[in-house]
Amino acid sequence: MHSATLYRLTYLAAAMSLGHHADHVIRHNAVGWPLTDQVNAFTMSLVIYPVIATGLLLYRAGRVGPGFWAVVSGGGAVFVSAVHFGPFAVEPPEMILGTYDPPILGWLAFTWLVAFVAVLAITSLYETRLWSQQRQTRRAARPATGVGTKR
Amino acid sequence: MVLVGTRIALWLGVQLLVAGLLVLGGGVTATGQPLGAAAAWWMVDGALIDLATLGVIVWLLRRDGSSYRSLLGPPTTAWQVALGALGVLAASVPAIVFSAELTTAFYGEATPPMFAVVDVPPLASAFSVLVVPLLAELAEPVAYLGVVLPRLERRIGRPWVAPTIVVAMWAAEHAFFPLLISDGSLDLVFAAYRVVSVLPFLATWTALYYTLGRRLLPIMAARWVFNGGTALALALGLVG
Repeated sequence: MHSATLYRLTYLAAAMSLGHHADHVIRHNAVGWPLTDQVNAFTMSLVIYPVIATGLLLYRAGRVGPGFWAVVSGGGAVFVSAVHFGPFAVEPPEMILGTYDPPILGWLAFTWLVAFVAVLAITSLYETRLWSQQRQTRRAARPATGVGTKR
Repeated sequence: MVLVGTRIALWLGVQLLVAGLLVLGGGVTATGQPLGAAAAWWMVDGALIDLATLGVIVWLLRRDGSSYRSLLGPPTTAWQVALGALGVLAASVPAIVFSAELTTAFYGEATPPMFAVVDVPPLASAFSVLVVPLLAELAEPVAYLGVVLPRLERRIGRPWVAPTIVVAMWAAEHAFFPLLISDGSLDLVFAAYRVVSVLPFLATWTALYYTLGRRLLPIMAARWVFNGGTALALALGLVG
């Protein structure tokens, strides 16, 4: 059974990710390959698009479930938080806030980033709950099947 | 709406009352800044506002014939509350970062005014740590997410609109506490800062309310850790 909410949240997170990558491109102060020769966090983060596309195909085919998406969204939240917010952040908020002129654009880009990480975290929690519900349903269905087999 | 109106009116009324009591008690002169002096007690004032909120909630529940437990959502086991609260705290990190950056933009490295103004005797300080955060969790999220949100959803009937209004009203309430004075009049810049700084928290918690299947207990538990921790840090002098 596919969740329409899961699809919507995935599309929203992908759109917010695109927006954040666009912010990187506009700022041009924390970019890597293919825009420069350097392979860095920016380059690594681009892997999310093939992961999302493949995940959507596999989810539609019933090969992966909400557990897969919980790991993808949760991993994304941790990665983006570590890169931007953590004590060892390679791209702290100042790199976004201090780059734009007028500064309000920097605040818009920063607010977008904060909303993006929040969406990833909330999506991951939703998918974890969905995953847990599906496991419980499966577990509840198992004894009934067992009784049927004995007969 | 009665609940939101009650809370805002009480925030104004209680702070004015404390200012009046301070003038009567000789703690501050009427020509001084009694409202500014009253702001030192805003965390303690919160207990009165939350008790009154609980009173209105009980009145509404009796009128509708339902229970307080029904406002907290589906049954939730202790481990679900604990895990959910951890998730809520993790999901609140972006809001914490946003609020910290906003504070730096407005006040630099100085302590945010709502913490800097707090100055109460040790007994009141202990009350702020032990009782106020607990009362706040029993009243505030239950009022906005358990009572106001479902009623607005039924009345408006469109998704997004009801939660957006609730978040806006909840954030707006923060403009009223504490009331600070700047250059002889109300510090409206601080009021605006308060509203904007809490917006991401409230939006996140409201989204999580839906995400967790309308379960309030994990949100209340996480908020209690967060607000109680802040009150404790303030009482121990780790902030300000």
